[in-house]
Amino acid sequence: MTNFQPIIQRTRAYLCLDCGKCTGACPLARVDLDYSPRRIVERVVFGDPVAAVADPQLWACMTCGLCSTRCPSGVDFSRFIIDMRAEAFQAGERGAYTHDGILHEIMRLQATGNRQERTGWIGDDLRVSGSGEVLYFVGCLPYFDILFSDLDVQPLEIARSAVRLLNRAGIAPIVSNDERCCGADLLLAGDVASFRKLAELNVAMIAAAGAKKVVFTCAECYNAFKHDYPSLVGPLPFETMHLTELLAEQIEAGTLSFEPLPGQVTYHDPCRLGRYLKVYDPPRAVLAAVPELELAEMEDNRERAACCGSPAWINCGGYAKQVQREKLRQARDTGARVMLTTCPKCQIHLRCAARDLDDEQAVEVTDLIRWIGQAIG
Amino acid sequence: MARNEPRVMILTCNWNAYHCLDEAGRQHLSLPPGVRHLKVECMGQIGPSLVLKAFEKGADGVMLVACAPEECHFEFGSRRAAELFKETRKLAGLLGIHQDRLQFYQMAAGEPAELVARVRGMADSLAARDETSIHGEGAAE
Repeated sequence: MTNFQPIIQRTRAYLCLDCGKCTGACPLARVDLDYSPRRIVERVVFGDPVAAVADPQLWACMTCGLCSTRCPSGVDFSRFIIDMRAEAFQAGERGAYTHDGILHEIMRLQATGNRQERTGWIGDDLRVSGSGEVLYFVGCLPYFDILFSDLDVQPLEIARSAVRLLNRAGIAPIVSNDERCCGADLLLAGDVASFRKLAELNVAMIAAAGAKKVVFTCAECYNAFKHDYPSLVGPLPFETMHLTELLAEQIEAGTLSFEPLPGQVTYHDPCRLGRYLKVYDPPRAVLAAVPELELAEMEDNRERAACCGSPAWINCGGYAKQVQREKLRQARDTGARVMLTTCPKCQIHLRCAARDLDDEQAVEVTDLIRWIGQAIG
Repeated sequence: MARNEPRVMILTCNWNAYHCLDEAGRQHLSLPPGVRHLKVECMGQIGPSLVLKAFEKGADGVMLVACAPEECHFEFGSRRAAELFKETRKLAGLLGIHQDRLQFYQMAAGEPAELVARVRGMADSLAARDETSIHGEGAAE
């Protein structure tokens, strides 16, 4: 039988006071009255962890981390859930895969060592390089371009805009055809073995390319590299940063400026970039540097920001939609008609939910990098 | 089975395609030894996920065989299969799975010899490739 003590120890779950702040804060518990983070922890610590592994509620958590910001004992509930899912996966349990499981299948195939053809989006107007200091990690954008064409997400425009912005900053980044999915969603879905394989392949690819700095436009890829890769493959031989962090540095140094982009926008802090990595200011600094662009903050922002509702491509349903609609309501209440984000997956989930709203309630959800790409002429 | 014998998975619907395969068996038309068959009710239910899973699990090629569109038992199923296959092919292209590893074929009833010829043709073309597997070095045999 699995020993659950290491999970309880490293997530500080043994300090749980059973106070219920987590359940009170949880955006899912607000709409699904049967869901309780407190009860899940309690069951493992004091009750029957083996039964907890078989509990379908284990896969419902969005791992948004809002509960941990309220927990007086500092229990890392997201990590607790991720580690418990790894045990559950080993025991043959699975979450309810969305989109017929295709996203996980694409990730697992990339872990087998196949040779992709994923750089067809790079046009002649973009300067990229085979070697250099900076590598741009594109993530799953070429795959999303095919899978979510019905949502008009145009994810490759994020990648093109990112390269244009890097070019403007004097950088011709490496974009590698041997890049693979970061695997974050496999980790969140319990498949640690495939995640580890992807981590090894990606780190080896970047080391072979000789890059000293890896830049991301996806909050989840960035978090996987920064938070999760080192624990599996050791310290990374390169620096990692989100593109907004790099741009904010350049703006601060006075080497990057923008054309005016009149209008009002609001900004959604993705859970990974915000609560996980505490990157709140750089995206805002980038928006502040665009003349005539006004940022209207949502009621819940920064560490209180609401989640996009359905991470890891599992367990998306009516409750997720309610969480997403609340997010869209907050965005609409700012008066802005555009909500920017720095995670392509948040954009996909929120655009999906926005389809159900009428024009009065709806906001345009798009990527910050793509949006400010319009301000470089 | 020798490893250089390509592993080909044929997915057939329960109707024209399966009937032909069954008839091929009755006529003692042999298929290459690496061929494995899976029957589903209608090819319109098969999206990219299952096809890519076959590759992940070690298939060297996958052939999807449906009814001719006007003969589909479910009226729109074969047309739906063609739409889904377009998406599968695009995803497979990004994943580096070349076109000759992935085929879609809509067939009339009563063409067992034609079906067997196509399966043999696919297996032969895969056997002639320098790399049989889509997986890189170090992948599980």
